Amino acid sequence: MRFVIALPFLWLGVFFLLPFALVLAIALGTNAPDSVPPVELGIGLKNFALLFTDDLYLAAWLTSLRVATTSTLVALLLGYPMAYAIARAAPERRPLLLMLVVLPFWTSFLIRVYAWMGLLDENGLLNQFLRWSGIATDPGTILGTEWAVHLGIVYAYLPFMVLPLYATLEKMDMSLLEAAADLGARPFAAFLTITLPLSLPGVVAGCLLVFIPAVGEFVIPDLLGGTETLMIGKVLWDEFFTNADWPLASAVAICLLALLVGPIALFQRQQARSLERH
Amino acid sequence: MDRREDGPVSGPIVRIEGLTKRFGAVTAVDDVDLEVAPGELFALLGGSGCGKTTLLRLLAGFETPDAGRLLIDGQDMTGVPPHLRPVNMMFQSYALFPHMNVAENVGYGLRREGVAKAEATTRVADALEQVRLTEYAQRRPAQLSGGQRQRVALARALVKRPKILLLDEPLAALDRKLREGTRFELVRLQAELGLTFVMVTHDQQEAMSMATRLAVMNAGRIVQVGSPREVYERPATRFVADFIGVANILKTEDGWLALRPEKIALSVERSGLANVVAGKIVDLAYEGDRSLYRIATDGAVLIVSTAPNLAHRRGDSVWLGWAADAGHPLDA
Amino acid sequence: MSRVFISLLLAFAAAPAFGQGSVNVYNWSDYIAEDQLKSFTKDTGIRVNYTTYDSNEILDAKLRTGKSGYDVVVPTASPFFVRQLTAGLYRPLDKAKLKNWNNLDPEILVALAKYDPGNTHGIPWMWGTTGIGYNVAEIRKRLPDAPVDSLSMIFDPAVVSKFKDCGVMVLDSATDVFPAALKYLGLDPDSKKPDDLVKAADVVKAVRPFIRKFHSSEYINALAGGNICLAFGFSGDVFQARDRAAKAKDKQDIAYAIPKEGSLLWIDVAAIPKDAPNPANALRFLDFMLDPKVAAASSELTGYANGNKAAFALLPKDISSNPLIYPPADVRAKFYTITAGTPEQTRERTRLWTAVKTGR
Repeated sequence: MRFVIALPFLWLGVFFLLPFALVLAIALGTNAPDSVPPVELGIGLKNFALLFTDDLYLAAWLTSLRVATTSTLVALLLGYPMAYAIARAAPERRPLLLMLVVLPFWTSFLIRVYAWMGLLDENGLLNQFLRWSGIATDPGTILGTEWAVHLGIVYAYLPFMVLPLYATLEKMDMSLLEAAADLGARPFAAFLTITLPLSLPGVVAGCLLVFIPAVGEFVIPDLLGGTETLMIGKVLWDEFFTNADWPLASAVAICLLALLVGPIALFQRQQARSLERH
Repeated sequence: MDRREDGPVSGPIVRIEGLTKRFGAVTAVDDVDLEVAPGELFALLGGSGCGKTTLLRLLAGFETPDAGRLLIDGQDMTGVPPHLRPVNMMFQSYALFPHMNVAENVGYGLRREGVAKAEATTRVADALEQVRLTEYAQRRPAQLSGGQRQRVALARALVKRPKILLLDEPLAALDRKLREGTRFELVRLQAELGLTFVMVTHDQQEAMSMATRLAVMNAGRIVQVGSPREVYERPATRFVADFIGVANILKTEDGWLALRPEKIALSVERSGLANVVAGKIVDLAYEGDRSLYRIATDGAVLIVSTAPNLAHRRGDSVWLGWAADAGHPLDA
Repeated sequence: MSRVFISLLLAFAAAPAFGQGSVNVYNWSDYIAEDQLKSFTKDTGIRVNYTTYDSNEILDAKLRTGKSGYDVVVPTASPFFVRQLTAGLYRPLDKAKLKNWNNLDPEILVALAKYDPGNTHGIPWMWGTTGIGYNVAEIRKRLPDAPVDSLSMIFDPAVVSKFKDCGVMVLDSATDVFPAALKYLGLDPDSKKPDDLVKAADVVKAVRPFIRKFHSSEYINALAGGNICLAFGFSGDVFQARDRAAKAKDKQDIAYAIPKEGSLLWIDVAAIPKDAPNPANALRFLDFMLDPKVAAASSELTGYANGNKAAFALLPKDISSNPLIYPPADVRAKFYTITAGTPEQTRERTRLWTAVKTGR
């Protein structure tokens, strides 16, 4: 029994705390390109100082936050109606609808991103259709723009938005909506005053599940985005591979984590509050 | 000026004509006609699946009928959505909004109606006072006891000043002791407000003790409507006789006869009553305020209820007797 | 002590099976004629554990982590091999045991010596140029007399702007593009002077608006699929795009040109990691790679030039006489290579590059 309780802690210790301590140790060290591994351990904050003084890094942070925020909001706007529709569908149809949401995961993530490249290219399916249908003769190219990055992130992470939203919407007591209607609420007012506030835990969970990976996303901006969309994931890549500066790359990773701890803590607090409420 | 005084004084507050509701192959409400007069405490009584709850939900507007008409205060409710109906409901689960405190719950309907803030505050305070919850105004539903929640639900519906208050099994979620007190409180409130209550219950004792009139339902149909006394004393069918209270149902030459246990006299000597029969005590139970017997006679086992009596023993031979008008003939 | 700790935990590479009589080779995919591997095992009795990668970065990370378990790896000379060499990641070659060493092309050895003085640590495997890939029809349509064999195709705003609508991609690599821009300006392509680099950056900045994307591999598919019409990239990649386009339904005619101003020579180098578990077998494998038969067969497979002079005679005509694969002497004379520079210079260059391509 004691072992069972210890298991999650063991897991956390081995697969999160230890690697984290390691990354932190490297981040505090100095780049030593001539050794294996290329790190001189020590206690210094100059890697972090560089991250916060160089405007290029700051710009990358801001771009990442901006892209992640907009993508999360779009995913929420798209995912909420989807989750709502599934939660209100006939119970025997819900498993099928949920499976449709999860179905894309059966294909490799990379292949799906490549498929978007094929769709959004200059001569991709989208433009072919636009030209063929005569809607636009010179439609321009979405691939290689920030639009494509947003699209890719929203597409890739939409299921992570839909599933927690569905979970909260599905377990909602329908008699609450009847009570609201009974007390004079139009359907939309009932949605705003009852459904929406009660689904807030799902909204927060979904947003975190989209926002967190979106901030550090590397593959999608690399493949779908243009060069001007400089996100922090690319900076990390450059530091690690192009500059072979592991300490600085680790510092970026630590900052990324620190940045995400904020929203997670917020979520925890909100969860705790809703627990004491019910 | 209360709204309930505006309506026409004469005429029923609820009028149901040929109302039918089907769910797939099941006819939940089957061609029901019913009238409820203003100021009544009307109970819909029946076992589970008899259609009483569906009928209540049709009144509230949560279900749309497949056939028939439903008028509230003379107005046809066909196509009127729940939020526009002049009725309010107290849900069996109470359906309190968990993310709002008591005052917000009670004020919810007033906010939807667009009642001015000052007026709404006063009305909420009044409603909370009515159900003795003033000091709980800031609590969340999760922080209340079952009885307190029930009173919040009541206040939340009453504060809207509906023409009819619908109550879905209002006492079912309470424990037995609380149920007794709440029963009287509901009746007191109803009388005080002069409001029409339509209540659904499966508990015949509850219906009998509270309702001014009641409808007994079975398989989607109303079997009998009347005052508790009428229904008890003169059940229309064997189903009603059996469902309401305890009845000995006897077969006679003319048909069926319902004989309530307390109408039967039990004696050691043969009595001079119109009907007499000899029997033997099979079972007996002393219940404090009365004694119950099961007595085997020539034809059947009869249940008899008398004033508390410790003199009889199991196996004793006794005489049963009842007056000529004690039994009530049944239709079917 | 702490270093051992880190390398232990960072050893994310699943090390291949070690043991006597085997050699662990980590190579680019489709980079050696695999039937030759069988004959190596037959001749020597050494089992080959052959695994492949498709990016220098992966190899770099594994080597820097330490204990990679590989005996033979094939990084690109610049900037990877040279950097790894500076970090002391390679074992010097015992040339006495490489009896085929003299098959190597002295010209390529000289070029490689810029990274590996005295050619003490690596042998050249395949090599190629950095130049201009283009869609013949699309370029002709927009600029009939386009200077396709000049760096002005990429760096002259007046020229490259003509191709903005059909799409231009440039390598996302400071070590390839800055030297070319310096060459275009007539400066030393290997210059590490900040002033020179700023000038090179200005050249790239001026044409940036016309470039759809900086990316180091995407241009292969994009060229082949007709989604872009012009790319600055590696010869081998453009050949791949050309072959793919020729097989496609609507055939795009893709061509490659070596810039007449001079081309940055890329060389993939076979070398033995310092901690190779089977260094003796590794040497035997390198000697096998130096076998003209093996080199020639591999060039046939890849379509790239190899660094093996003796193999030239064994090559099919369409490779050996192709001036884009084996350019004539006057073109070769203008090949250039660049040196590694200090980590600080690398950082400054990367930063400048990031700033340029993101338009800051």
